[in-house]
Amino acid sequence: MKVAFLFPGQGSQEPDMISNLPDHPVIRRTIDEASDVLDEDVNQLDNKDRLNSNRNVQVCLLVTGIATARALKAEGVKPDMVAGHSVGAFGSAVVAGVMEFRDAISIVKRRGEWMEEAYPTGYGMGVISGLTKRKVEEIIEKEKTEDGPVYLANVNSDDQFTVSGSLSGVDRALEVMRNKGARKAERLNVNVPSHCPLMGTVAEKLDQSLKPIPFRNPSIPYAGNRNARPLRDAEAIKEDLASSVAHPVRWHEVISLYYELGARLFIELMPGRVLTDLVCQSFPTARSLAVSASGLHSAKMLTEQIRQM
Amino acid sequence: MTGLNQMTKGRSWTTKRDAKAERVAGIAGIASGKVIPTDRIVEAMEKLIKPGDRVVLEGNNQKQASFLSSALNEVDPKKIHDLHMIMSSISRPEHLDLFEKGIANKVDFAYAGPQSLRIAQMLEDGKLTMGEIHTYLELYSRLFVDLIPSVVLVAAEKADQEGNLYTGANTEETPTLVEAAAFKDGIVIAQVNELVDELPRVDIPGTWIDFVVVADRPLVLEPLFTRDPRHITELQILMAMMTIRGVYERHDVQSLNHGIGYNTGAIELLLPTYGEQLGLKGKICRHWALNPHPTLIPAIESGWVESIHCFGGEVGMENYIAARPDVFFTGKDGSLRSNRTLSQLAGQYAVDLFVGSTLQIDRDGNSSTVTSGRLAGFGGAPNMGHDPRGRRHSTPAWLNMMTSDDPLARGKKLVVQVVETFQSGNSPVFVESLDAIDVGREADLATTPVMIYGDDVTHVVTEEGIAYLYKATSLEERREAIAAVAGVTPIGLEHDTKRTRKLRENGLVALPEDLGIRRTEAKRSLLAAKSVEELVEWSDGLYEPPAKFRSW
Repeated sequence: MKVAFLFPGQGSQEPDMISNLPDHPVIRRTIDEASDVLDEDVNQLDNKDRLNSNRNVQVCLLVTGIATARALKAEGVKPDMVAGHSVGAFGSAVVAGVMEFRDAISIVKRRGEWMEEAYPTGYGMGVISGLTKRKVEEIIEKEKTEDGPVYLANVNSDDQFTVSGSLSGVDRALEVMRNKGARKAERLNVNVPSHCPLMGTVAEKLDQSLKPIPFRNPSIPYAGNRNARPLRDAEAIKEDLASSVAHPVRWHEVISLYYELGARLFIELMPGRVLTDLVCQSFPTARSLAVSASGLHSAKMLTEQIRQM
Repeated sequence: MTGLNQMTKGRSWTTKRDAKAERVAGIAGIASGKVIPTDRIVEAMEKLIKPGDRVVLEGNNQKQASFLSSALNEVDPKKIHDLHMIMSSISRPEHLDLFEKGIANKVDFAYAGPQSLRIAQMLEDGKLTMGEIHTYLELYSRLFVDLIPSVVLVAAEKADQEGNLYTGANTEETPTLVEAAAFKDGIVIAQVNELVDELPRVDIPGTWIDFVVVADRPLVLEPLFTRDPRHITELQILMAMMTIRGVYERHDVQSLNHGIGYNTGAIELLLPTYGEQLGLKGKICRHWALNPHPTLIPAIESGWVESIHCFGGEVGMENYIAARPDVFFTGKDGSLRSNRTLSQLAGQYAVDLFVGSTLQIDRDGNSSTVTSGRLAGFGGAPNMGHDPRGRRHSTPAWLNMMTSDDPLARGKKLVVQVVETFQSGNSPVFVESLDAIDVGREADLATTPVMIYGDDVTHVVTEEGIAYLYKATSLEERREAIAAVAGVTPIGLEHDTKRTRKLRENGLVALPEDLGIRRTEAKRSLLAAKSVEELVEWSDGLYEPPAKFRSW
């Protein structure tokens, strides 16, 4: 039985996410390392106000994820495969040994800045559950206009999708979805239109700035956000990290793929438990655990148990 | 004439036999007699298998030749490549790793549920070439026609030095796979858990086996047919009551197959309670082609069941089965003898009824368990879920399906779909168009992967009622009957409920009240066992559920 690490993406951020990290020497060192690269104190980035900035959210998510992964490693918990949702993919590339944490931090900071600059106001995302994917696509096709663009963004499970676009487009689509029987159709706490063609220029900038960064082939499979394939080649991962910001994240397929590859314990790194809930819902026969809820020790115990099966 | 004679004379008629002898001679330094040492299996495979070979790898949905599939993954792709794999079930990650490594490139299979996304992805990425997707019986049959294997890799419990195999409760399809190679100069390698001096019984004779190898760990067995009664809902109980009354009793069903699921589990657990109240014991459900479902224990214990022939075994049922030889097929050692090929044949030709469940049904009654982007294949359900038109013997239920007095009229197998109108998560089961159509198109399959065709379905049971499709005289009437029991799904909403009365009068639809069933009677208290623990009690402690089903 295998173990997969999952790095959460935007939407999982919460105030005090850095200060709420467990007290562990490896975690303290990770925060210092990030502060050193950014030339500012990462401990100061996680209050409610500063998390209004997309850049700070993305940086904090990467730091908490890597800090948790390193603490688990120090406790002897290592993954057989790793996946990250959206910005979480950078964390997964670090854990798979593809890129250095320092490089990831500086690129993720710029990723956040570019996304914010591209659409400072008037754009965002929504989440829908209780409709089929086909229905959601139909509605989006009908509701999108030149002034009010809206796109299918992420496929999080068979039953949960996000949309991105201008707020007018997103709101209009959400309203129609509610009328067509969606159990839930509401705005997300995300102020940029991620994972849709509106992010094309950001993808280009990422592509340019990732080019000179040294990448290695992964030591364990990395899950492509864009094509839901187990990527085992450095260049393919670089391409995925750059282009996925302008394409839907096929998360449900990523989890299905890892289940088929033998993962039976999914450990969600900090913060939050969004991805854990998605695993529980789609794969009741797998174990899933959020470090934020269960702690490092439970992750260690469960991993030992699963490895013996 | 002379020319033809000379051509024939010059030709060798033993090329396959000679090639086999050469391969076998190649591992003379590795094997001692028929036994290949565990740590030299990869080396042996590299000599016994050649690029482009057709290789049968035993992976069915229960028993897995897991040691041999891992070993095959270790061979050098420079030496062995482009294998054409033939597998009844693609169920383990390493089955598809073979294609990622280039060891194999083509596959023919029957079922790929546990790897259904990956196989679709690899097909799309050109990492594997698809042969065909089959039912079990079709795939087994082709092993003797145009998919004759060069090498067969199987799993057994025990072997002796002569190569005799003991497969025990999980004989499943091993004899069929072995036969296809053993009598056509193919090579048969069997992994075993242990080598012993004397076998409890011989399931496959040693003269059919070329090599045995002791696996580094016991073969993998999945408990696939255990359903915890704790999860059976009152809606499922309602549908089970309707099925017993409105199908089994009404048509005098003596012999049957149940698919696996909570719907059929509920029927099994209602026989000793609700069925008993109706006075049906000894009158229906006497003979079964069925995996050893633990949920059937109460019906067996209360004397409902005369015989069961099994496709495979079920983890934890071994001792119970061994103690009930009047009901199960057992060997002289006492343990179960299963045989998937023969049980599938029995389920196809010899039973009155098949009942199963599905994920999607269209307005014509076609059904599929395919969901988007996945290639799950068929397994055995279509073998049982159709009317075999070669059948010539009659039974009361089969005759009961005749709807005309034409002198050439014939009966029909009962094919019953039991479904709730919505799946969990709010997706409708009755849909305008099957997802399977898109999947078939995307994967470039020759035909849409339909599990059970609408024209084979005789009954659809939902929480709304029963549609007696065999009575429909036109496609229009069939559609109307399906829509009448489709609830508030898109198909159901098209139905004019005023028409339901007419359908009821004509016997095309029955609501619970038409069958004398009050919805409020459908309580969990009707279940003969409400938990796995109670199944153990019914079995007098003989059933030993796997750890994951023990909650006490």
